[in-house]
Amino acid sequence: MADTALTIDGLSVDFEGFKAVNGVTMTVDEGELRVLLGANGAGKTTLMDLISGKTKSTSGRVFLHDTEITNWEEHKIARAGVGRKFQIPSVFKELTVRRNLEVASCRKPGVFANLRFGFGADAKRTVDQVLELIGLTEEQNQVAAYLSHGQTQWLELGLLITQNPKIILLDEPTAGMTQAETHKTSVIVNNLKGRHTIVVVEHDMAFVREIAERITVLHLGQVLAEGDVREIETNPKVREAYLGTKGIL
Amino acid sequence: MSSKRPIDWALYAVFVVLIMLAPLVMDSFWLNRVAKYLVYGMLGAAIALSWGYAGILNLGQGLFFGAGAYMLAMSLKLASQTSLQQGSDKPVPDFMLWNAEPGAPTELCCINKASFLWLPFQSQWFGVAMGLVLPVALAGILGTIVFRKRISGVFVSIITLALVLLVRLVVIDAQPITNGFNGLTDLGWFKVGDLEFDPYVVPTYYLVAVSLSLVLVSARLLVETRAGIILQAVRDDQNRARYLGFDVPSYQTFFFAVSAAIAGFAGMLYVIVSEFASPTFMDLTFSITMVVWAAVGGRSSILGACIGAILINVISATVSETEGFAEAWKAVIGLIFVLVVLYLPRGLGGLAHDLVDRFVVRKRGGGERALRVTSTSSQAAE
Ligand SMILES: Nc1ncnc2c1ncn2[C@@H]1O[C@H](COP(=O)(O)OP(=O)(O)OP(=O)(O)O)[C@@H](O)[C@H]1O
Ligand SMILES: [Mg+2]
Repeated sequence: MADTALTIDGLSVDFEGFKAVNGVTMTVDEGELRVLLGANGAGKTTLMDLISGKTKSTSGRVFLHDTEITNWEEHKIARAGVGRKFQIPSVFKELTVRRNLEVASCRKPGVFANLRFGFGADAKRTVDQVLELIGLTEEQNQVAAYLSHGQTQWLELGLLITQNPKIILLDEPTAGMTQAETHKTSVIVNNLKGRHTIVVVEHDMAFVREIAERITVLHLGQVLAEGDVREIETNPKVREAYLGTKGIL
Repeated sequence: MSSKRPIDWALYAVFVVLIMLAPLVMDSFWLNRVAKYLVYGMLGAAIALSWGYAGILNLGQGLFFGAGAYMLAMSLKLASQTSLQQGSDKPVPDFMLWNAEPGAPTELCCINKASFLWLPFQSQWFGVAMGLVLPVALAGILGTIVFRKRISGVFVSIITLALVLLVRLVVIDAQPITNGFNGLTDLGWFKVGDLEFDPYVVPTYYLVAVSLSLVLVSARLLVETRAGIILQAVRDDQNRARYLGFDVPSYQTFFFAVSAAIAGFAGMLYVIVSEFASPTFMDLTFSITMVVWAAVGGRSSILGACIGAILINVISATVSETEGFAEAWKAVIGLIFVLVVLYLPRGLGGLAHDLVDRFVVRKRGGGERALRVTSTSSQAAE
């Protein structure tokens, strides 16, 4: 058995009486790629918010390997090794693609440690590799604001890859993408498999089939089922939960 | 990007050479005037640093300018003849004597309840040091509170605006030690060794011109450091920067404080060339005027904002000497501001950049997209 990279233990958040995430317990192994499924409003994004520190939990704990990171400040959780992609793609719009990645390559959190010029030879090498991987080598000197939607999403993935965290949380990385773009994204994500522990929220079943090993289904803030693609597809509880919705499975 | 850097630096060099040559063509009256405009240019650069690079629109920059100005003015006041001729060998500001309670000792320590605060200012260099320390400390405290609390955008502007008004009232109210509305006048000259900086001589002009050049180049180098680039990333998307592991408030606070230090420095230079410090430095209109200079010159360009400030003031001075134009000119400035905000969101500096893009980057074949980064993308940062 591989080591456990991420442990979530009874995690809950209470938005004035409404429990968007309600006692979620799950573990993700080192190097695993876990898909989070669930209808709109099931609490997937909120769960990522809780892990990455954006939202403070009201009870429960989160561990990164053996370190408890529950409710730390965001940048400290990031430094501890959690990287995150947002549902709405966010990159540094007025900087060039290359600059975006250089920023992500920087290992020092505070301002004083960074009062020097250049990002160093290591960073240059990493950035070149990542540009290659996300297919933006030609666009490297373009300002990020001019990228297409798909390219922006890949750039944000690139930021994460450059940051090189232990765990990568991806919130709907293929939202709004064409089929071809979705496929390219799955190639990038598959490339990360094994090197990073990855948790992905995704609605697109074609994409899920391309990348998934294990799936956790969330429903109304709780874990409804967990298993591989086939188990989930045939799980009666999952089918029931999706009855009435258009049945994404 | 990198293809434009040498051109940028060339523009800095041209600017520095031009201001260094000004004494060849100007009489001492104009030289003193231009020295003031160079100080305004420094303020423009300070605004560009916080607004353009950090995304913090400070509507109270006058607070830092005023703080710098008053700190040095206190020292220069004590160095003035009027303070020394008060029947004592120790200097006492004249206004303190005029307002002293009957029977109060004519000593700086105790002529009124708070006059002891002036004691260390008998050393000019203490005044100079405080002229930087006070703005930086104020900005550091304000920045730490505001940015740790994640206040951003227009709320920061409102807080800075409220603060400058508050401090202005306090300064006016503390009449016994600030001379209230009248401010500090009749100042002595700034001295370095035997050199006295009479505001109407060439060395004083060079003191300002060299200071401005150093500030411009340092500020420009600063935004090219890793920290400066990360700061721009923070401006574009705070959250993204945070989740990459950066301690966002430390960047905002640091550059806010640097901008304050530049404004404080400008305040001191202004006192040297104009020989007074007054609460008008903390008037709302003055702080807003600085923002207009930076907007016209280009808030995303340190040099652009500086030139914007100088240009507007030189034109103002020329035009308002023509009878009947003085009032119309104010309307013209207002109009220029509106037009720039509407059609040139990155000001003249931005326009210059685009022209460089068009002619240089195009020629090298890399510029099918010589588009402008429009106001929408820069405003989306908030
Ligand atoms: N800060 C908040 N305050 C109150 N309610 C919230 C807050 N954040 C999220 N919610 C609610 O929690 C529920 C779960 O939201 P969440 O964004 O986690 O869903 P999701 O599974 O990511 O859905 P989607 O597929 O639409 O992205 C929703 O009903 C949402 O309205
Ligand atoms: Mg979501």
